[in-house]
Amino acid sequence: MSSTDDIRWVTQVALLGDKNAFDKLTCKYQSPIRRFFLNLTAGDGPLSDDLAQETFIKAYLNITAFKGISGFSTWLYRIAYNVYYDSVRAQKKYADINEWEIDSQHQTQNEFSAEKMDIYRALKLLRKEEQTAVLLFYMEDKTHNEIAKIMNCPLGTVKTYILKGKERLTVYLTNAGYGN
Amino acid sequence: MPDMETNDKLLKDFFSENKKEIADNGFSRRVIQNLPETADRSWIVWVFAAIGMAISIYLGLTSGLLEHAFSLLFKSVPYYYLLAGITCFPLLGTAGYYLSQNKQIAL
Repeated sequence: MSSTDDIRWVTQVALLGDKNAFDKLTCKYQSPIRRFFLNLTAGDGPLSDDLAQETFIKAYLNITAFKGISGFSTWLYRIAYNVYYDSVRAQKKYADINEWEIDSQHQTQNEFSAEKMDIYRALKLLRKEEQTAVLLFYMEDKTHNEIAKIMNCPLGTVKTYILKGKERLTVYLTNAGYGN
Repeated sequence: MPDMETNDKLLKDFFSENKKEIADNGFSRRVIQNLPETADRSWIVWVFAAIGMAISIYLGLTSGLLEHAFSLLFKSVPYYYLLAGITCFPLLGTAGYYLSQNKQIAL
């Protein structure tokens, strides 16, 4: 399934409100979007599914705003990024609750928890922006330019986020015995 | 201290080891079920089809192409073939529609 398919399905959704075409887009992108949220929320499956669902619904409602300048995937990640940061801002009022403790409780409830504890611990060392940039670059294979569009920030800032994130993660992973 | 290239490889290997495809498990269905209702815009297709047909008929009539095509058709195709085609088409169409609807209900 190429980006030509994406454009065709987006056109069908935008012009005809075709839900079958949107279903195809959802099926194609559900895995990367849910994985992105799963990593950002330290493995909280139900929360990442809720955020992913909100992302797809927002994409459906605003599909006419997609101009096709960047790929559909980049545009979808941009929505996902906004949804995630809206959720983080909404949770700020509960900041006195130990976030890590809650995340750890949720981790035991999903199938990825045991094998993915290391990645969640590693990502916890980074600032939110660094987490996002590093995940998009190393896990979702996005380019620096695409990440700059997704995060709506200058290219130089993205490179700094990735560089700083890389430094911290390298120290953590080396100490944890990776790469030996 | 390892060099930048080694660090990059370390991270790439680490993230690719942790990169897993997530099974749909009804997620897409739930998204579609929760989509808000929007106005049905399928009429656009019919409007454009009607405009297209009107233009073709107009061009066909003014250029004499349609007249020529019909005269050829009636001359070369036997009358009973045409009659059988006209009679069978609605029957086959109805049968096809019935089968497709039954299939959709079964799904």
